[in-house]
Amino acid sequence: MADHIAVHRSGLTMPVVTPRFIDNAWRRGCDFINMDLEDSVPQHTKGYARTLIKDAITNVTKGGAEAFTRINHDLVLADLEGIIWPGLAKVNYPKAEYGEEIQLLDRIISRLEQERGIRPGTVEIGADIETSVGVANAYDIAAASPRVREFGGAGGYDMSRDLGVEMFVGFDQFVYGKGEVELAALALGLEPHTAPFTANTTGSVGDPDRAFREAEAARKCGFRVGGGLHPNVVEPQTRGFTPTQEEVDEAHQVLEQYRQLEVSGETWAETDGNIIDRYEAARARKLLAWSKLCAARDQEKAEAFARVEAAEA
Amino acid sequence: MSMLIRRSNLMVPVTNAKFAAGAWRHGADAITLDLEDGVVPALKAGARELVRDAVAVAGKGAAEVFVRVNKEFLVADVEASTWPGLAGIMLPKVESAEDVVEASDALTSAERRRGIEPGTLSLILLLESANAVFRVREIIAASERVSQVGLDESDLSASLGISPVAEYDPFVYARGRMAIEATAAGVEPIGIAHPLGTLPRLLSGDDMLKVATDSKNLGFKGIICPHTSWVSSVNTAFTPTESQVDFYTQVRDVFAQAIAAGTAAVPFAGRMIDVPVDEWAKVVIATSTACNLRDAEKQTAMEAASV
Amino acid sequence: MAPASQPERAVAAPKSNTDVVLLDLVEFVAEQDKPSAREGLVEIVRQVRESGTDVFALVDSELLYADLHACVCPELTGVVVSHLESVAQVEEADSLISKLEDERGIPPGTLEMVFSLDTAQANQDAFEIASASRRITGLTLGRAELVMDLRPEPSGEIHLMQYLMQKLITVAGAIGVPAYGAWWRTPDRGLLATPENTGEAALRGRAIGFKGSFCVLENQVAPMNQGFTPSAQEATEAGKLLESYRAAVSEGTASIRQGDRIIDSGTALRARLLIDRAAACEAHDKAKVDALAGRPVPAP
Repeated sequence: MADHIAVHRSGLTMPVVTPRFIDNAWRRGCDFINMDLEDSVPQHTKGYARTLIKDAITNVTKGGAEAFTRINHDLVLADLEGIIWPGLAKVNYPKAEYGEEIQLLDRIISRLEQERGIRPGTVEIGADIETSVGVANAYDIAAASPRVREFGGAGGYDMSRDLGVEMFVGFDQFVYGKGEVELAALALGLEPHTAPFTANTTGSVGDPDRAFREAEAARKCGFRVGGGLHPNVVEPQTRGFTPTQEEVDEAHQVLEQYRQLEVSGETWAETDGNIIDRYEAARARKLLAWSKLCAARDQEKAEAFARVEAAEA
Repeated sequence: MSMLIRRSNLMVPVTNAKFAAGAWRHGADAITLDLEDGVVPALKAGARELVRDAVAVAGKGAAEVFVRVNKEFLVADVEASTWPGLAGIMLPKVESAEDVVEASDALTSAERRRGIEPGTLSLILLLESANAVFRVREIIAASERVSQVGLDESDLSASLGISPVAEYDPFVYARGRMAIEATAAGVEPIGIAHPLGTLPRLLSGDDMLKVATDSKNLGFKGIICPHTSWVSSVNTAFTPTESQVDFYTQVRDVFAQAIAAGTAAVPFAGRMIDVPVDEWAKVVIATSTACNLRDAEKQTAMEAASV
Repeated sequence: MAPASQPERAVAAPKSNTDVVLLDLVEFVAEQDKPSAREGLVEIVRQVRESGTDVFALVDSELLYADLHACVCPELTGVVVSHLESVAQVEEADSLISKLEDERGIPPGTLEMVFSLDTAQANQDAFEIASASRRITGLTLGRAELVMDLRPEPSGEIHLMQYLMQKLITVAGAIGVPAYGAWWRTPDRGLLATPENTGEAALRGRAIGFKGSFCVLENQVAPMNQGFTPSAQEATEAGKLLESYRAAVSEGTASIRQGDRIIDSGTALRARLLIDRAAACEAHDKAKVDALAGRPVPAP
């Protein structure tokens, strides 16, 4: 389990071979940038693409974002050799299907961390579940390495192709698979990367209102991890995953009422149709901790922006 | 590898002479002659003697012909069913891998005696208990013959003491588990969206098309039809529509141009087209071609048989 | 359910017409009150049992030794074990109960265990945990939504619950024991559920395969019983359906139409089971009335 809770509310996945995306990435204000070597990079440019990562890490993190790279399922060794450099926070491994694959990734990353002067255990592994085989082995995959800290999947294009279903049909086709993956994450104490189902019949990736509604719904269900493909969704996601001032005030109130409850020797109380008990107190503490982490992250990014602007002035 | 197109599987009791004789006229991809739940106990023994001729008749329209056997009379039923023209058997009430191995062995032995190439007869498995749903992985993996697996929701609900209602779907987990595990094992999951599995009924063509399309979008590859009126809607639902084929043909063009221009992610019609979308486009187009071929094959056979 | 720290509520509970009284040592007993609650528990079990109701104790898998010593007696029907995380805890509970049965003159193997799978690990390993003891007579999710911190989605449904409920029912079915629903009543928490929402939750629970559920308040018992009991109308319809099906079978047909419905052997089997269950509920309700009135209850 993670010794710190990462703040990954918003992020953009972009082909590392497209300079106009990479050069502007730091300005987007997201919590992470996911540089893609996989689906958005043509087969014949894969070799060239991985040579770009080392410099791109410095470039995309200027504004305080963390740098991730999505590698190719079938080019693990070459991709990892090309990308594990200081500053890389996470390797996203697509179409994870077996725990052994993650163990292999872990061994290679551990060696490269040692060779390249990176603190052991720094680089996280994102094991993305995108196939039926992956769902069938979800728990083994999630348990395969302590580098797996956020865990999710079992929806999206790859999953729908694997199952042979159309996307955006207006009902949730992936209840079982997403359930298996989320339960594995919760059982192992990992951060579930999921969201409540909201019907999307258009497949639009750049609608800011929709992005905010989805992020807000996910936050209210207790989820904290976002990410997308279009710059328009960065700010709405960051905002949607951050607790509001009202929620923070409420959480303080709940904790105050719970302190009084403890003194009284009762196990629960009701005020205005709300229950106060140890479960609500635990939720309130979790929300306050998350709110602090979000504020700290926003501060970090603001300072990084100021540094770049000062250097450019 | 050729694509299995078994969208509709029309179930008829072999003891209903009129249904068995007319089943081939409805355009089903497969016809299953029932010796099990559709046949009353008093008629079981006599039913076996009808199978040989019924298999030949049911195949007149180029449907694959299956026989649903009784688990407790496995050997006798397999013996009575294994004649030229049979595609395989449907095995109900599967509880374990051993059940599947036993059925496969019975088929091997019958194939030898009847001069059918060993291993050619296929198995469709039906799961009817929570135990089977939970053990689905080992059950599916027990024999190379397994081509499809489905839930018998009617019997499954009875075994769990469920009185189903249309508002609440009791088998989201069971159906999802079967679809995922079957797909992972390379076997086709078959089944139908709630509430038609536990509460089967006759629907208008449009309503049936909607249910069958939802079933396809749950990951299923076909539906067992208890009534002839389901067949044509099921075939339509599991065949890519013309507009889907047009859309994905354009997707393939746009993506090919993007690759030529050095990028593998390109916006089109409000979506981002990348490798997975292009891969899916290939599947849709190939499925359409295979369905059209299968429909033409049946059409030719039905016309020839009608003369 | 009644807190073990409030004997007067526990002893009065059978009057609500509940099928089971669950004496709680876990959820609504403050930490500092637990020792005194345990001390008087056997006496409460005996008093509740006198009214003819089955009596269970809700025990904490983290406090097994103290909780089980406090409740095991010949009058106890069984225990509901909450906060399970592992097969080892089940084995520990099982062997401790065997030891206590032996020491306290209870026929071996008679005390029942119902597992409350309220943690993520317990739900992950549900089948292994449920298979780890032959005493198991039921599975429930308990207060999983609170223990696992699952929250309402925009639809009002609690996130992940559909998956967890149906997984539990499938595992229970595979083991061959009944599954009981949880404490919450969408959109209310269990503690606040109105009788109306409780009745709705029970109907819904029965439709997906639960056989009963937990009540936190007395006014939830009647709607809960009603929701989990087939209605007279259902039983009548099932009887008619069965009659037409049997008539068809005697004429050589095993599948018939009723209007646009297709009636097959599975539908007929369901109808028969519903009639049996309605009769069993009726007999059980009568037995409870007799017991409360002090009349002798015939052996089941």
